[in-house]
Amino acid sequence: MAQIFDRSSNALARMSLILTGLIVIALGLTADELQRSPWVTRQGQRADQPVPFSHKHHVEGLGLQCQYCHTSVEKSSYAGIPPTKTCMNCHAQIWTDAQLLEPVRHSWATGESIAWTRVHDLPDYVFFNHEIHVNKGIGCSSCHGRVDEMPIMYMQNTLQMEWCLNCHRNPGKNLRPTSEIYNMAWTGASELKPVWCAAEDVAAGSPTAGGVTCTETAPGGEVQMAAVSAPVTGVHAQLAGTGIGSEDTGVMHLPAGLHYTKFTSQAALGLFLVQHYDIRNPRELTSCEVCHR
Amino acid sequence: MKKSQGTGHRVQGAGAVAAGAEAPSILGSDAARLKSCPDTKPESEIGVLTMAAPVSGDGLVQIEAKKPVTLAEVRAKLAHQKGKKFWRSVDELAETPEFAEMVAKEFPSQASEWIDPVSRRSFLKVMGASMALAGLAGCTKQPDEPIMPYVSAPEDLILGKPVYFASAFPFASGAVPVLVKSDSYRPIKVDGNPEHPYVKGGSDPLTQATLLDLYDPDRSQHVLYRGDARSWPAFLAAFRSMLADKKPSGGQGLYFLSATVTSPTLAAQWQQAQKNYPQAKFVQYEPVNRDSHYTAGKQAFGSFVDAQYRLDQADVIVSLDADFLGGATFPGFHKLARDYAQKRKLEGTQEMNRLYVVESVATTTGFKAEHRLAVKPSEVAAFAQALAGAVGAGSAGGYSWPDHETKFLQGVAADLKASAGKCVVIPGEFAAPEVHLAALAINQALGNVGKAVVYTDPVNPMASLQTADLQALVSDMNAGRVDWLVILNSNPVYATPADLDFESALNKVGTVVHLGSHVDETGEIAHWHINNAHYLEMWSDARAYDGTVSIVQPMIDPMYGGHSAHEIVQSLLDEPDVSAYDAVRGTWKDQLSKGDFPPHQANSGLAGGPGFEFNWRKALHDGWIDGTAYTLKTLTAKGGAGAASAPGGGDAIEVAFRPDSNVYDGRYANVGWMQEIPRPVTNLSWDNAAQMSYATLEKFGLAENDAVEITVGGKKIIAGALAIPGQAEGVVVVTLGQGRRSGRVAGGVGYNAYLIQQSAAPWAQTGASLGKTGDIYDICVTKSHHIDQRSVKAGGDGSGTHSIEGNESLDRGIIRYATLEEFKSNPEFAHEGEGRDVPEPDETMFPAYRYDKNAWGMSIDLNSCVGCNACVAACYAENNIPVVGRQQVKIGRLMQWIRIDTYFEGDLAAPRAHFQPMTCHHCENAPCEQVCPVGATVHSPEGLNLMIYNRCVGTRYCSNNCPYKVRRFNFLLYSDYETESLKLMRNPDVSVRSRGVMEKCSYCSQRIQEVKIAADKENRDIRDGEIRTACQQSCPTDAIIFGNINDKDSRVAKIKTQERTYGVLADINTRPRTTYVAGVLNINEELARDLGEYSS
Repeated sequence: MAQIFDRSSNALARMSLILTGLIVIALGLTADELQRSPWVTRQGQRADQPVPFSHKHHVEGLGLQCQYCHTSVEKSSYAGIPPTKTCMNCHAQIWTDAQLLEPVRHSWATGESIAWTRVHDLPDYVFFNHEIHVNKGIGCSSCHGRVDEMPIMYMQNTLQMEWCLNCHRNPGKNLRPTSEIYNMAWTGASELKPVWCAAEDVAAGSPTAGGVTCTETAPGGEVQMAAVSAPVTGVHAQLAGTGIGSEDTGVMHLPAGLHYTKFTSQAALGLFLVQHYDIRNPRELTSCEVCHR
Repeated sequence: MKKSQGTGHRVQGAGAVAAGAEAPSILGSDAARLKSCPDTKPESEIGVLTMAAPVSGDGLVQIEAKKPVTLAEVRAKLAHQKGKKFWRSVDELAETPEFAEMVAKEFPSQASEWIDPVSRRSFLKVMGASMALAGLAGCTKQPDEPIMPYVSAPEDLILGKPVYFASAFPFASGAVPVLVKSDSYRPIKVDGNPEHPYVKGGSDPLTQATLLDLYDPDRSQHVLYRGDARSWPAFLAAFRSMLADKKPSGGQGLYFLSATVTSPTLAAQWQQAQKNYPQAKFVQYEPVNRDSHYTAGKQAFGSFVDAQYRLDQADVIVSLDADFLGGATFPGFHKLARDYAQKRKLEGTQEMNRLYVVESVATTTGFKAEHRLAVKPSEVAAFAQALAGAVGAGSAGGYSWPDHETKFLQGVAADLKASAGKCVVIPGEFAAPEVHLAALAINQALGNVGKAVVYTDPVNPMASLQTADLQALVSDMNAGRVDWLVILNSNPVYATPADLDFESALNKVGTVVHLGSHVDETGEIAHWHINNAHYLEMWSDARAYDGTVSIVQPMIDPMYGGHSAHEIVQSLLDEPDVSAYDAVRGTWKDQLSKGDFPPHQANSGLAGGPGFEFNWRKALHDGWIDGTAYTLKTLTAKGGAGAASAPGGGDAIEVAFRPDSNVYDGRYANVGWMQEIPRPVTNLSWDNAAQMSYATLEKFGLAENDAVEITVGGKKIIAGALAIPGQAEGVVVVTLGQGRRSGRVAGGVGYNAYLIQQSAAPWAQTGASLGKTGDIYDICVTKSHHIDQRSVKAGGDGSGTHSIEGNESLDRGIIRYATLEEFKSNPEFAHEGEGRDVPEPDETMFPAYRYDKNAWGMSIDLNSCVGCNACVAACYAENNIPVVGRQQVKIGRLMQWIRIDTYFEGDLAAPRAHFQPMTCHHCENAPCEQVCPVGATVHSPEGLNLMIYNRCVGTRYCSNNCPYKVRRFNFLLYSDYETESLKLMRNPDVSVRSRGVMEKCSYCSQRIQEVKIAADKENRDIRDGEIRTACQQSCPTDAIIFGNINDKDSRVAKIKTQERTYGVLADINTRPRTTYVAGVLNINEELARDLGEYSS
């Protein structure tokens, strides 16, 4: 009786074994990618909103400050979505007949909320707190992106856990002076855009942010260069001697007598701010209970 | 039946071997009980589950024949024990095979089996289909979530930040001043007001439960007329037209029946109304009333007075059937418990108080006592009289006591006399007036009045003898004299003594109006039903037990547009439309116009005058009105102790009635937390039982769990028999508040004890009869849960009993205590004995963690814990703990994160008990962390043992490996995701757990994070005492202390350096962060010698 399988079947069998392995790997990789893809995370997707509200128009065009609407961002875990009243502050006067704003007027007239679709939607088991981030030098755009350039709001980042941990493991790379929190165009310190910062000792019990002064224009007085590898701990020690008399050269908004350090890289600035803003160390920041309760 | 020798009376020494071999079996077993529970919803009104034939089929378990144990066997086993011996249930003590089998399993029987209404087969079918979708389900995207912002936001609201408002929970035994946590103007937590001058924080289970009561989905939501929805104006029109008709006759035929009036404003409104309608009558009746107390006060002083006991000034406390540590039912509970515990802290002193309790019902107060005597209800008065005689405050009476009682009596009397002026005798609310008279006389004779006892006006503005008033009302109703009956916040159809037959009397009333929070038994048959506003929804006022007035302010708009008694009574006045708000302001106008106010307020032109507006706001903000505490009365009791009636005959069975410690008189029966939390001493959950001693069980040929028929005055109820260690013999205790007809939670739970209550003697009845029905009543008790199976290998006494918590609690030092003398001579007593040393930190494979900054720890003072359950209820509210229901509780799936373990010690008839709150110990070397395969339970840099719900896959290895048995698993979807009103109640800072997830105490991690963020923002360290866990906050005795143990100046770190601090099971190197402070008992050495107690 002839053999059922030809000798060439051996090659096929081997190939199919290998293929099966490859398919399993490919499926795994696909699932992995899928989980991170905008299809799941909704990164970059524009949700249907009752009113096509343009942050670009209101922030970049009109220059509204973030907190005009998101009032509780410095005070509470929740940044706040403006009540209809906030819209009507202006739109009772301008664009009173615009068709686009009909839902706003309807809400105002009937007392029913405008039902927005949440764009930045964390799972219910994640407890994010805006106030501590904003008070410790994380700017709006670090997470939300260039909101001032978004005609329709979308999510810039995945808001997945690995993205959160990226920063919690090394917060320095995203820290900025608290004076720049609402600056959408902030890009961090670099050779081209150096940042000068000075720190003074603050009494315990007063916010750390008050003790750090930063500027993007060269201040007068003595400036010490900080390199990436410079031991930043030294800065604080130097500043203890407050008697250093540096003449005020006319930069009026800056307190006199401060000892500025020039930062030409975000790493150095981050290191400086981590220390002076009293940021918890990565071990504490990555502990589960920080976000999960 | 042969009466067994020696079991007929009282205390047996540990060595007393009693009954003969033919003694009938008395003990059902927990194991058997756990097996015999198919769906347990009782069908009939009185809640009997007639035992069906064994059910077979998927998911249900055959009911096995029991192998009961005899009392003789138990006693025999006890006799061989040397030294201290702790036990938690009699099955454990008796070492029954069922018990052994039960502890050999991780969870009590059936816990790992699928016993849902869904059968295993249909489950597999469903799962087969879902498996196909499972891969996709993992990738399911989150659904879109809407944001509904305000249209116009309240000015001061910061979303995400809770606001706290002061108010008061009006309760008949004195208002509990509260601080309500409000999130977006939704009350989400009720706690004691820590700044209140009298109560000083702390709460109790009932106060905690009022939150769920507010959000109860069964609350009535409409005004009803004969069952149809009507509007409030329609009722007002009908009511006022009736009033207009009755005005000429002075209100003839108009009657009010109200729960105890707690509001001075309501009292003032009624007094005004009485002038307009002199013939109208206002009757107060509440099942738990102060008739005994007031009767005695009237007799001794000629007027109603309240007695305040100042335990901070008492070295010797004698309770005559007074459960003053049991809960808010006892007037002034919070202050009493705090002062009692304060004198037992032994911080910087070696002085402590001593408590003697004579009681007819086993209570936590009794088990906290140094010396306890169980007597029948009818003997309490005779004992009180004899005590009065012995201390020279009256004649001793002619009752001759057995030897044991005589010794006890003489010991107590000698101690009282020795500490005259620094002692106090507290009579029980449910004891006869003679007991109160005796207590008055003793306190007066010993010079305690003005020191440890002071008298004031009654806390309730319209004090009355309620039972007599109710009897008069019922006879008026039967005589047809009642035309309109307006029932305010009361449920008399359910909660009145059966002999009055209130329901048939109600049929003779023209029109019945019922104001109530639920359409309850009364609401169903009333013509008009008005939905009541909850105290968190309305304006009112109330007095704490010392008289300090608190304004009750609304936290939320009435959810269902409810109305209050203020509005109804106001209709009788000349200005019928004055709101409750204006009425309350009117009451306190004079009081609040006095005193200082800032000058800038003087010209503010506010409505009520400058000083008033300022002081009104201050009173609302602070939670009380300054200077409203009662002035103390100087009174001298007339007439002495008086003669007590002779105790009932020797063998007659007596029935004692008590309000349930959780559902009270029935008004909280529909609150899931209260049904579920096991009651102190009895460990009953979702049930009430006929509680009696083991000897009484035996005497009537009963086994635990048997259905018994209790007959009083021709009326019968059927209840399940439950043996209670230490219960006085010949007494059956029944608890009120269960057996409700309606309510998704309350309906059909337990039996209704009101059906055998008699108005002549509502709290105790002699001449009851007890009969065995032959059926099994499937009681729900939790006492044998949480038992560790590994102890068979872990050691023990080698007897083969397998419970660490019970049998080994001495060997393993779970409970450690000493007498005061032992403590003085050997302060290190808590650390002596084998296996009590904590191993060196290096004796482990696992490297030690380092804790740089904060290291959270807890200390629980076993001397202060009175087992009141406030912490348990507070934990339910704070941590969104689900209610699982009766059936799930029976198979050991209770979800409470903190439980109170009760360890009995010594003889069955007269045991001592130790209460131990048990919750996650946050071990530094945690067994659970080492076995979790998915890293769902991990260690934090501050030493918290974290539970990450979204990582948990439900292997339950952690629970298996936890020596403290404090982990709880969501076997089913216990959290209610559907009911709208319950969503409003949830703490937004804590995840609501779904099915298949393990959970446990987190040391209130959300509170730690909140404070850490606040401290970080302000660039400072966390202050000691800034973080308070929910259990700590609710504890009326300050038994629980939480803080940073790395900070050597923190309170918890200091306590942990005390000699008495010990860790439970610390010898297995778990390094628990929760430690206990060992108890010290200030025993009367002489009396102990006489009675043969404490001789180990």
